[in-house]
Amino acid sequence: MKEDFQVIGSRVPRKDAPDKATGSARFIDDLDVSGRLYGALLQSPLAHARIVGMDTSRAERLRGVRSVLTARDIPPVKYGVSPARYDEHVLAVEKVRYVGDEVAAVAAVDLETAMEAVSLIRVDYDPLPYVLDPFEAMAEGAPRIHEQAPGNICVEVHQEFGDVEAVLESCDVIRTGCLKSKNQDGGFLEPHGSLAVYDLQGHLTLYSSTQAPHYVQRTVAMVTGLPMSRVHVIKPYVGGGFGPKAEATPLDLCASLLSMRTGRPVKMNYTREQVFLHSRARHRFFHEMSIGALKDGTLKALRHQCVLDGGAYASFGIATAYYAGSLLGGPYRLPNMKYDGYRVYTNKPACGAQRGHGGVHARALFERQLDLLADDLGMDPVELRLRNVMNAGETTCNQLNMSSLGMRECIEAVAAKSGWKQKRGALPRGKGIGMACGFFVSGAGYPIYRSETPHSTIRLEVHEDGGGVTVYTGSAEIGQGSDTVVAMIAAEALGISYSDVLVRSGSTDYSLDLGAYSSRQTLMTGHAVKRAAEDAKRKILEAVADVLVVDPQGLDIRRGVVETDGTPLDFAASRMRYVQEHRGWTDHPTGDRLTFREAARLAFIRNGPVVGLGSYKPPPLGGEYKGAAVGTSPAFGCSAQVAEVTVDLETGQVVVESVTGAHDCGRAINLTQVEAQMQGAMSMGLGEALFEEVRFDETGRVANPTLGEYRIPTILDMPKIECVVVESDEPNGPYGAKEVGEGAIMPTIPAILNAVKDAVGSAPDELPLHPQRVLGVIMRDGESSGS
Amino acid sequence: MLLPRFDYHMPMTLAEACSILETYGDEARVLAGGTDLLVDLKTGSIRAKHLVSLERLELSGVTQEQERIRIGSRSTVADLLSEDVVQRHLQPLMDGARSLGSPQIRNRATIGGNLCSARPAADLIPPLLVLDAEVYLSGPKGDRAMTLDAFILGPGRTALAPGEILEQIVVDLPRAAGGGAYLKLGVRRAMEIARVGVAVFLSLEEDGKTIRIARIALGAVGPRPIRALNAERVLTGSRADARTWEEAARTAVEHAAPRTCHEFKCKAVAVLTRRALEQAWRKAVGNGHA
Amino acid sequence: MREHEITLHVNGVEHRLWVPAHRSLIQVLREDLALTGAKHGCGVGDCGACTVLMDGRPVNSCLVLAVQADGHEILTIEGLARGSRLAPLQESFVEKGAIQCGFCTPGMILSAKALLDRVPNPEEPEVRNALAGNLCRCTGYQKIVEAVLDAAAKTREEDL
Repeated sequence: MKEDFQVIGSRVPRKDAPDKATGSARFIDDLDVSGRLYGALLQSPLAHARIVGMDTSRAERLRGVRSVLTARDIPPVKYGVSPARYDEHVLAVEKVRYVGDEVAAVAAVDLETAMEAVSLIRVDYDPLPYVLDPFEAMAEGAPRIHEQAPGNICVEVHQEFGDVEAVLESCDVIRTGCLKSKNQDGGFLEPHGSLAVYDLQGHLTLYSSTQAPHYVQRTVAMVTGLPMSRVHVIKPYVGGGFGPKAEATPLDLCASLLSMRTGRPVKMNYTREQVFLHSRARHRFFHEMSIGALKDGTLKALRHQCVLDGGAYASFGIATAYYAGSLLGGPYRLPNMKYDGYRVYTNKPACGAQRGHGGVHARALFERQLDLLADDLGMDPVELRLRNVMNAGETTCNQLNMSSLGMRECIEAVAAKSGWKQKRGALPRGKGIGMACGFFVSGAGYPIYRSETPHSTIRLEVHEDGGGVTVYTGSAEIGQGSDTVVAMIAAEALGISYSDVLVRSGSTDYSLDLGAYSSRQTLMTGHAVKRAAEDAKRKILEAVADVLVVDPQGLDIRRGVVETDGTPLDFAASRMRYVQEHRGWTDHPTGDRLTFREAARLAFIRNGPVVGLGSYKPPPLGGEYKGAAVGTSPAFGCSAQVAEVTVDLETGQVVVESVTGAHDCGRAINLTQVEAQMQGAMSMGLGEALFEEVRFDETGRVANPTLGEYRIPTILDMPKIECVVVESDEPNGPYGAKEVGEGAIMPTIPAILNAVKDAVGSAPDELPLHPQRVLGVIMRDGESSGS
Repeated sequence: MLLPRFDYHMPMTLAEACSILETYGDEARVLAGGTDLLVDLKTGSIRAKHLVSLERLELSGVTQEQERIRIGSRSTVADLLSEDVVQRHLQPLMDGARSLGSPQIRNRATIGGNLCSARPAADLIPPLLVLDAEVYLSGPKGDRAMTLDAFILGPGRTALAPGEILEQIVVDLPRAAGGGAYLKLGVRRAMEIARVGVAVFLSLEEDGKTIRIARIALGAVGPRPIRALNAERVLTGSRADARTWEEAARTAVEHAAPRTCHEFKCKAVAVLTRRALEQAWRKAVGNGHA
Repeated sequence: MREHEITLHVNGVEHRLWVPAHRSLIQVLREDLALTGAKHGCGVGDCGACTVLMDGRPVNSCLVLAVQADGHEILTIEGLARGSRLAPLQESFVEKGAIQCGFCTPGMILSAKALLDRVPNPEEPEVRNALAGNLCRCTGYQKIVEAVLDAAAKTREEDL
């Protein structure tokens, strides 16, 4: 049912596109402030060592150096992402835990001097034994990385729904398999950066390339000891985040502390190599699953174990460990599910949240196993999915409610558009077609710190002269298009044109918003915007009703004019006053309707500033079991994809020839942006499937910290993508909208895995699928089949 | 990323350039396109207090003199791709140039730089080896020439004597009924360093069926790109057919250094050699009928 | 430390500067000329975010010394629009949704411009080859290709 939207569902160009197309959009490194110093970090060359001594005197004496910071200069406040696991210090206290761990920070007149000063700091390390593998880290006698974590277990998750072992026994088929992945990286084009300005009034303004100004604000306030009201975090344009930029970085903290110490602004950036050393990106996963089904294809039970290689600190890893299990509860009916997850500390850069969070590789193995089950049962893989797909309104075994779920429509759309029926089973050896599904939260149901806080708030100010509105939001535009979505929802709800909405975003001074992570902003910030716009509209119409002596219930604003339910609106006098007030203007309002411009002006004159306020917090969600919060969401977006591949049988090289994707975003606020997010998610999935891995040498150092050696897809690696947008009209979403950014990455890796299996008979158990690995499978299968 | 500080010299003549290089010895480096050197300086894998820029020297351009093609060492990779003579006669070099880096890199990287950096996976070296290229060096003690094969000594090492500069690269105009190719195995389809590189040049007898000249060069499977002489011997005088390609491909693997070449790479050498031979042969047949 | 006098023609404007030899073109553009459109993505020529046109050809400005650019024509993203009138490529990028985070955009547009200046009627493979040195993590490149082809068509229409 197509609603009569004015703006929603269109392809209006993004608000920020012209600035970005002309190079006038300012990113963190484009900002400068007079008198600023440059900061640089001293990082550990060892994976695990005690700091026995440190001599900063030569660095301090170097001409141009203004401050040298070590742990002894900082209050020993631990921080992190999940309050229950605050395990980081800004600068190493007593010991370092990975190659890259921050030991000291220097502020100097320029970068060259700061780096020279860093090289003059002498640190005496007492090397400790270290572990780079999570299984070794869990083993008896392994060096303990954090005192409070015996066995190096950062978090253990044990969940069971139903009775998995008993049900598995009654299944007709069971498929057991495993999937190993590698540490990966966000691969955003813009390295992190911070610019901290501590002023004479004791206020700290921190510009940061971040996805989550609010979380950064909290962390900086907590660590520096400044009250929240004196910490202002401002996000300039951000060159991609994808998860690793959703937490305060050592740059944020060191720049802030150095600025406070020196009284000067301090700028700090990461080099590309440092981005890799910092990580906070995709965990390394070891998944093992057994899926049981009946011979008619009904899925009955899942036994799932996962070990997550978490690196040296917790970061977002608690949530990751939970997501890895919880996001398998849907989109198929699965009445029995058992999950045992172990996130393990190792002496490597800390892993955190990255697009799709813990769900991506779990989904990859699950979908691959489904295809194997389909084989066992002689069923078409599409058929198997359709047989098990949930319907809207159903709840998963782990109590995630699918308030809307266009999964069936997505599957049918990609099957049709890709020519699945004709191609499946008909392609020659070396060519394959595979499909997969997935889903994701539209915003985490709970903030990362235990709180009753609203998740998104909005201040919508109507300009006194009535010409437009400004929406103030703390939400973070990081490229995904949230500013545009905010403007479109505000315009639609208020009844004015998109071009009359100005969005100011990304500053903690504007409003509280939890930021861009867990694919939340369209739904949550969107709701708050809608409410604020409706609030403003109501205030304007009440004033109009007051002045023109009519019943406000009969009034509305649409297309920039006030509409009535038929009651005539005598606004002649009001218009005359407006025209008199604007003598000299050449664009006086005309026509037989009272314009928004006039109505807003009238409201201001009558009542003062018109400000619409809006706020959103999800209702309590989820079950009562431990960890129930993670995975909950007011809504879930879902996706299906079909991939076609060609495998070079002699070299193992995999080329993805095409991807057909369908995503249920509830309602497409901006169709172009939904497609764009789908395409971007698929390109990241393709990269993670085929090319991407962070390698470490024996000392624990990242061996390939460059964009030449850590391979994200180039334009020549990306095939043509067909996008289908499905709209299931989510009841819990503003205008029916829910997420797209992370759900759309879920099917990509397994669709490729399944296509490779179709092409050559089986797919490797390990990612990425670089030529050597794929060739290994081809040759091994060739040997075992006696050829 | 910051560059370290250095003195920058812009000599007006080759002799002046050689003289500066000789004066500063180990502390000086030639700067042509900079796509290798500047990266190395930023990462610290090379240290230089003096850069000697070639930008004022007339060292670019591709000219054909009767049966010889002369390529100035400062010709960029992009220049090579746009040269008619290279397009028509030097197919392996075209393939190598096309596969190198990115458009941006190709607009700066020079053929001289690619040879003097002498990376094991360099994309222009195997093609020039199968074209039997010679390098012309100019130095304080005069000029000399040698085969490219003799010029490349090991990873990052060439036969350049102190003060010497690579002036030009010379290849013989390949005979009619000749064809070549360069194939590269990477992971992505752009901006890749070869994991295995195979260049091939074939020229056929009048009958169009027998191989007169065969040259094969392998890159990225040893400390330096090398000619696969055993495989060439399999080809010379043999019939140009699938069995010959198979045998040559298998033999080529013998030249891959055992340390760098484990099973996967060895298989890739055989596969790429066979495919490059098939391509080169098709070109040779085409050229023979032209 | 010795400084060299250089003349850069940037976006049609002549700039005379004194620079030490070790400063790269991107540093001079961003820091001395306040042209921050070219971005630092990696510093070593792997990503293309620093792409500018030098004598009409795309180069990684992180790997060109400012002294090497002496006397050459440099075009940065800031040189494309005429006041508030966007160039066809910029318009197409905006309209087709080819811009998300925007960090790769300046370099991407310039690489595309270099192509269209030489090949006004490119096929899709030519577009992809021309942009092979510009990484993008956000878009999957599809709308970028559509935008370049759209700009090419628009420009040909205008020329008629």
